Amino acid sequence: MLANYAFVGVFFVAAVIFPLIPIVAAYFLGPKRPTPTKLDTYECGLEAVGDIRVQFKVQYYLYALAFVIFDIEVVFLYPWAVAYGELGLFALIAMAVFLFSLVEALVYAWKKGALEWV
Amino acid sequence: MTEITIPPIDWRVATQLCIIFGWASVLLIIALFVPRSRIRVVGYLAIAGLVVAAGAGIPFWGGSAETFGGMLRLDTYSMMLNWLFLAAAAVVIAYSLNYLPKHGIEHGEYYVLVLFATAGMMLLAQGGDLIVLFLGLELLSLTLYVLTGFAYPRETSEESGMKYLLTGAFAGGFIVFGIALIYGATGSLNLAAIGDTLARAALAAEDRTYLYAGAALIVTGFGYKIAMAPFHMWAPDVYEGAPTPVAAFLSVGSKAAGFAALVRFLVEAMGSQWPVWAPALATLAIATLLLGNIGALIQNNVKRMLAYSSVGHAGYMLLGVLAAGAPGGMAGQRGVEAVLLYLLAYMLTNLGAFGVLIALEQRGELTWDINQFAGLWARRPLLASAMAICLLSLAGVPPTAGFWGKFYVFTAAWQAGFGWLTIIGILTAAIAAFYYVRIVVQMFTAEPSRETPAETDPALRAGLVIAIAGILVLGFMPAPAIDLVQRSVLATVGGQ
Amino acid sequence: MNTFITILFVVFAVYILVAAIMTVTVKNIVHAALWLISSFFTVGALYLLMEAEFIGVAQVLIYVGAVSILILFAIMLTRDLEGTQNRQMTPRWWIALIVPAALFGLLITPTVLTYQWQLPPPAPAGQSTPIAGAAQIGTAFVREYLLPFQVASVLLTVALIGAVVIAFEERERRRYVPTLAEKVRQQQRVRRPDPAASAMQSSETAGSET
Repeated sequence: MLANYAFVGVFFVAAVIFPLIPIVAAYFLGPKRPTPTKLDTYECGLEAVGDIRVQFKVQYYLYALAFVIFDIEVVFLYPWAVAYGELGLFALIAMAVFLFSLVEALVYAWKKGALEWV
Repeated sequence: MTEITIPPIDWRVATQLCIIFGWASVLLIIALFVPRSRIRVVGYLAIAGLVVAAGAGIPFWGGSAETFGGMLRLDTYSMMLNWLFLAAAAVVIAYSLNYLPKHGIEHGEYYVLVLFATAGMMLLAQGGDLIVLFLGLELLSLTLYVLTGFAYPRETSEESGMKYLLTGAFAGGFIVFGIALIYGATGSLNLAAIGDTLARAALAAEDRTYLYAGAALIVTGFGYKIAMAPFHMWAPDVYEGAPTPVAAFLSVGSKAAGFAALVRFLVEAMGSQWPVWAPALATLAIATLLLGNIGALIQNNVKRMLAYSSVGHAGYMLLGVLAAGAPGGMAGQRGVEAVLLYLLAYMLTNLGAFGVLIALEQRGELTWDINQFAGLWARRPLLASAMAICLLSLAGVPPTAGFWGKFYVFTAAWQAGFGWLTIIGILTAAIAAFYYVRIVVQMFTAEPSRETPAETDPALRAGLVIAIAGILVLGFMPAPAIDLVQRSVLATVGGQ
Repeated sequence: MNTFITILFVVFAVYILVAAIMTVTVKNIVHAALWLISSFFTVGALYLLMEAEFIGVAQVLIYVGAVSILILFAIMLTRDLEGTQNRQMTPRWWIALIVPAALFGLLITPTVLTYQWQLPPPAPAGQSTPIAGAAQIGTAFVREYLLPFQVASVLLTVALIGAVVIAFEERERRRYVPTLAEKVRQQQRVRRPDPAASAMQSSETAGSET
């Protein structure tokens, strides 16, 4: 089984090395003559104003939480789907009950207006 | 393709749970469509669901059954506890019906979450498998974190929700780790199977270490939930900041459910290891008794005092748990009965005391100073006598419910051979009487330093009447309750 | 092959430890989060190494995919975060070190004393118990673990309800958090005071904060 993932590892190593090459090369090859204008933060050619860290709206967090919850749902769905061929009708009912509960939560959040963007 | 059989499910075992889960799901949707001004209808519907669930259990009383491959049990022990949980939830909802609008936090989700928490408690009482116990605990804890922070524009509520979440998540981690270690040591998650494995043969040295470490972690995790010293530090802060009906629910429901699961785990799975865990738990019980009661002694805030007193009461119930594990059928059965009777008395009494606090609470008024009780007798004689009865019952003065609870626990502990522990229990009960009586004296003799208006409403009065009547009936006629408790046996204990 | 796996294990294990230590010591909280995420990812690789394929996938899906986003969002939501100079160590950090170290010692001692140390570990004998694959786990969900499976869905539902109750502020009492553009505009107004605009601004914020 491990062999199946060997190429994932190779890919991962390549993904790390590939961007490192130009950065390292630029470090050694590029001339460095800094001026204050060159060191300025680039923001669409405008003068940068304010702090980069601003407080985000809590709305984002609700989306993140909903994402986590449905992500976990996928983790439950995945083995069920793999085994579905040999399980039959009862498995379908069991999963329907499982999903019903989560869909209800989604309906709740929707009706409550928590999914509306402001 | 082979023929797949549907797993045989004994629906009788799961009837009450299914009713609560189903009704909570339905109410969640109903609450969305009920207009804001009539949201208390959801509360009435929730109480109706609780009553139906309690009634649905009556035909199944007696005997024991299990289903889902031993994961869910229904014996008289769990049925008795289920009724306690349902009653406590109903009283808490009755308390909340006017509390929530008064504090501007009336949302339909509140009642739904109370139902889900009740379902979690029932899972803890009925679970025969460590996974189910853990899921029940998480369901209960998750809903209680939200309920504790429910009054969220109020900073104390947010703070207490946060504190409860952090300690509770920590406790949950302990329990999972403990479950993993026990699974590693015994190869099973089923409580009865673990008990069989341990009773049959001694484990290898390595496995034994994992077993004890795992059991210690699980007891620690449940120790947080039942506010056992030294894991009780969250209780006063959380009780103080939580909306008062939620604090009442925490102090009775969460604690009772924690004890239900702890007894099942220690007696059913770890029963044969009693000589090992009894001394450790006895030490914790002494610490709990002393810290809880001495902590309560120095409080001037009544809500914090009740929190510390609930820590002390956990100590008395731990005496019952110790006796419950004692070998030789009779002593063990006495211990289980003692825990149940104590829980019943404690539940009625604490619900009553918190009910009086709710009547005295004004919006934005967050002191609960003992002075608020000064001269209450002159202004509101009925409320003052209700509080006095609750406090005397908490102190264990006859003839109240609390007296019989303490009497039974001390008898059970004595019979199981914990003579010195019983003496410590009696001494701390004497300390406890001092701070309870201090409030009674304030109510009946002191001049009011400042007028605190008290408001009651029909629902709150109904809840109070149930609690007070229960205390007095149990106090004057303990026989029916004791009879009921004596028939409530853990299935495996009854089988021995 | 076994030696190769052992080397991989040591590399992953050392990396996880380093990343975990960096998580609790670096001063920039965003860097701490990134270290934590990288350690999550490596734990996933460790699960794969143990041939627990499903747990590895779940680890990447949930921890690397979702929990890391939650952590980063939580950092972005935090108010007044300078980010670079937060001290993570309290003066009594060594107490916090002793307790887990003692617990770890308690748990590892029996293994150290009884385990037959061999490097590389012996190849498993012919009939080793196979690790449950996704299909077996899926089957278990609808058979012996039916009850926990269904309760888990209720748990997730309650989590979403709780998130909405706690985090979602309904429109009438929502606290107003200005966007970056609005903040900049506000600062510019402060620099060039315009009485009418600033009066309107203050009444707006006062109204929305109640």
